[in-house]
Amino acid sequence: MSQVVAEELNVGQSEIECVLPDTDQTPPFKMTVGSESIASFFEPISYGAARLREALRILAAEKAGLSPDQVQDSRAGFVLPDGTELSYATLVPSVPVVLSVSASLTTEKTMPRYALERKDKYQSIGRSWRHQELEAIVTGQTVYSRDVSLPDMLYGQALRPPAFGAQLQSADGRAAEAMPDVTAVVIDKENNFVGVVTDDPFVLPTATQAIVARWEVPEDLNQDQIDASLDVKQLRARDDLEHTLTMVGDIGAGRSNAQYKTTARYDTSFAAHAAMEPRAGVAWVKKDKVEIWCGSQDPFFVQRRVAKATGREVDDVVVHSHRMGGGFGGRVLCQASEEAALLSAAVERPVRVQWDREAEFQNNYFQPGFSHYIDAGVTSEGAISHWEHDFVSSPIMTGPVPENIAWVLDKVMADEGTARGGLSQYRAANRRVRYSDIRTPVPIGAWRGLGAAPNTFAIESMMDELAAAVGIDPLEFRLQNLPSTSDRLAGVLRRVAEISEWGQPAPTGTGRGIACAVYKNQTAVAVVAEVQVDHSASELRVTKTWCAQDCGLVVNPNQVENQVMGNIVWGCSMALKERITVEAGAVKERNFDGYEVLRHRESPEIAVVLVDSDAAPVGVGESAFGPVAPAIANAVFATTGRRIRRLPMSYSSVFSDANG
Amino acid sequence: MEIAINSKMVTVPRKLQDVALLDFIRDFAGLKGTKFGCGMGLCGACTVHIDGTAALSCQVLIAEAIGRQVTTIEGLAGTTPTGTLHPVQKAWIEDSVPQCGYCQPGQIMTAAAFLSRNPSPSDKEIRDEMSGNLCRCGTYTRIHGAIVRAAKES
Repeated sequence: MSQVVAEELNVGQSEIECVLPDTDQTPPFKMTVGSESIASFFEPISYGAARLREALRILAAEKAGLSPDQVQDSRAGFVLPDGTELSYATLVPSVPVVLSVSASLTTEKTMPRYALERKDKYQSIGRSWRHQELEAIVTGQTVYSRDVSLPDMLYGQALRPPAFGAQLQSADGRAAEAMPDVTAVVIDKENNFVGVVTDDPFVLPTATQAIVARWEVPEDLNQDQIDASLDVKQLRARDDLEHTLTMVGDIGAGRSNAQYKTTARYDTSFAAHAAMEPRAGVAWVKKDKVEIWCGSQDPFFVQRRVAKATGREVDDVVVHSHRMGGGFGGRVLCQASEEAALLSAAVERPVRVQWDREAEFQNNYFQPGFSHYIDAGVTSEGAISHWEHDFVSSPIMTGPVPENIAWVLDKVMADEGTARGGLSQYRAANRRVRYSDIRTPVPIGAWRGLGAAPNTFAIESMMDELAAAVGIDPLEFRLQNLPSTSDRLAGVLRRVAEISEWGQPAPTGTGRGIACAVYKNQTAVAVVAEVQVDHSASELRVTKTWCAQDCGLVVNPNQVENQVMGNIVWGCSMALKERITVEAGAVKERNFDGYEVLRHRESPEIAVVLVDSDAAPVGVGESAFGPVAPAIANAVFATTGRRIRRLPMSYSSVFSDANG
Repeated sequence: MEIAINSKMVTVPRKLQDVALLDFIRDFAGLKGTKFGCGMGLCGACTVHIDGTAALSCQVLIAEAIGRQVTTIEGLAGTTPTGTLHPVQKAWIEDSVPQCGYCQPGQIMTAAAFLSRNPSPSDKEIRDEMSGNLCRCGTYTRIHGAIVRAAKES
């Protein structure tokens, strides 16, 4: 964003400071989700900055007694016909000027927009600016949510409910209250909350343990029950798929036209965000104002939630935003700040609450598991004869809404997050895609890419199965089944084939797989993965990945490449590692020993190529992730002949009888 | 009872002998650059140097650090002859390694101690050594590249 502003204002990086505003310094803005920042804000930011530049040009003209068109651009300011330089700094009036958008449409029509227009001679856009925060990060100076400290601050912790939906019955805080350094025990049944405040952070664990709480646990829930309620086979048996994404042609006719036909089921697991920073917040509930210091993907949502929890007006709550150690969709809320607010209200001092890793695994929301069933075939000409795809998961976008609203919502809404990526780009004259979004007691919310990765896994695995069955190269098979309107996707498929030398024999003991997708109908991505099976070590390793991405104009190539690499690693992690399991009504995994994520030595070599484009820039934060897992699964098939239809996979799952 | 944190002597109150070095560094010494990630020695975010060797500060009791030299990310630059950024920190900036950046102090501390012990490591040695430090943003490729760069340039 800074680079777009810099482009319009003719300034350099050092002249721009990017700040995280407090909620009372700006009107509510869109939350940071869905990789939408660049696609949504490139144009308005460019507009705003251009408007500012032209307003300053008018000021410069007035000051010099000239007309605005005699005032030419110069670095960080203007130059007059006689060579006099006028910097922006000398033009800025002492009182703030508000520029209104509707001011003068005629000016706007002729207003130059450098970010949109001077594509051949960009000064800032397209350059790899280093992030302004880098030096602070590598020297430990950056203040993350967990690093916030206020004078006179107290330290709080909430007791964790033992299971999903557990209700607090009673709590006895007398033993804790009798301890030195304990300021208060707060028991708030209405908010299903019990917590403690101390004036010494080091006694917090002991004080928390001294509280005895009784919870009512709804039922003994386990993973098998949850999987059964999200089982595509059972829903198909009842012909009970709720939503239809598309229905064209005649599946039966297509099936009878098929030279080869098959069916397969694909499953992906529940997953956690596992961001490196367990969430934290500091709250100070004062008589007339509530202040929150935290990191969140949506500070305005935090503001509303805290207002509700403390019974205050939204305008009386101010959220000071801090950098956070990872979000990935998991930090739209900041429950730690809400807990801190309840505790601060009781003690009228600032209170800090920091979740530990176990709290993060136990008490956040999750990515739901998906089960897919695809019935598809190929004609003798290599075209897709029919494509019938049913899938089941939980609502994701509306996952966090309260129960009393959810049941109404579910009757009228089809969750778009669950369906994301469910429609492939391929031509199929006879096609039906249906899905159901079913709530279970497991809390669900956004996780990187939402439905895109599970849905892409199913689609791109089946494409590979079809290609293999009819003996067509998987790249060729994809290309020949893409419509001419999918030229960007075809383009990245060809590029990734080029850089990975697709078609050349893979090194001995390795296999290569390919997969692709268009994220949110915007960003086209293709990935090739190379997998090595080491039987002596019973190990399956992704050794190399290649990725070609077309995300339109690339504002900062270095940062985009970094994001793509992150997507690849996240995709490997999903394919090989991540699984949340519910046991006795709670999450079984409590730390990185139970919930494993990809480590350095398991991470592949990554080559990234970004397609040169001057189309409007689109999102990159989640786009390359979806094709990674199917590319890996397809590579496993290439080297072992075994199909992977359930994630995560491991050496032993690949060679279990089920995949023979 | 004292420990040296970044060459500054800090007196340890008797009642804090049983706390983890990480908590002491963050909540008593007030140095927030060392991060909490898991509390069980599984993720490497809390890595510091004790007498020049990388250690997981969430797994070290303060009593075990008494009389020893602890270096945190804030003090790493001070260990170089010039007192400016450590070659590993420079390489991290040069290669724009961080995304969210939260794990990076731990990654840098592990890498710096590693390179002082093994100034020209092989790729495999880098992979093995760095596998105790998780990065959820997936910056491993750049971490690897920055270590290679720092090894070349120091």
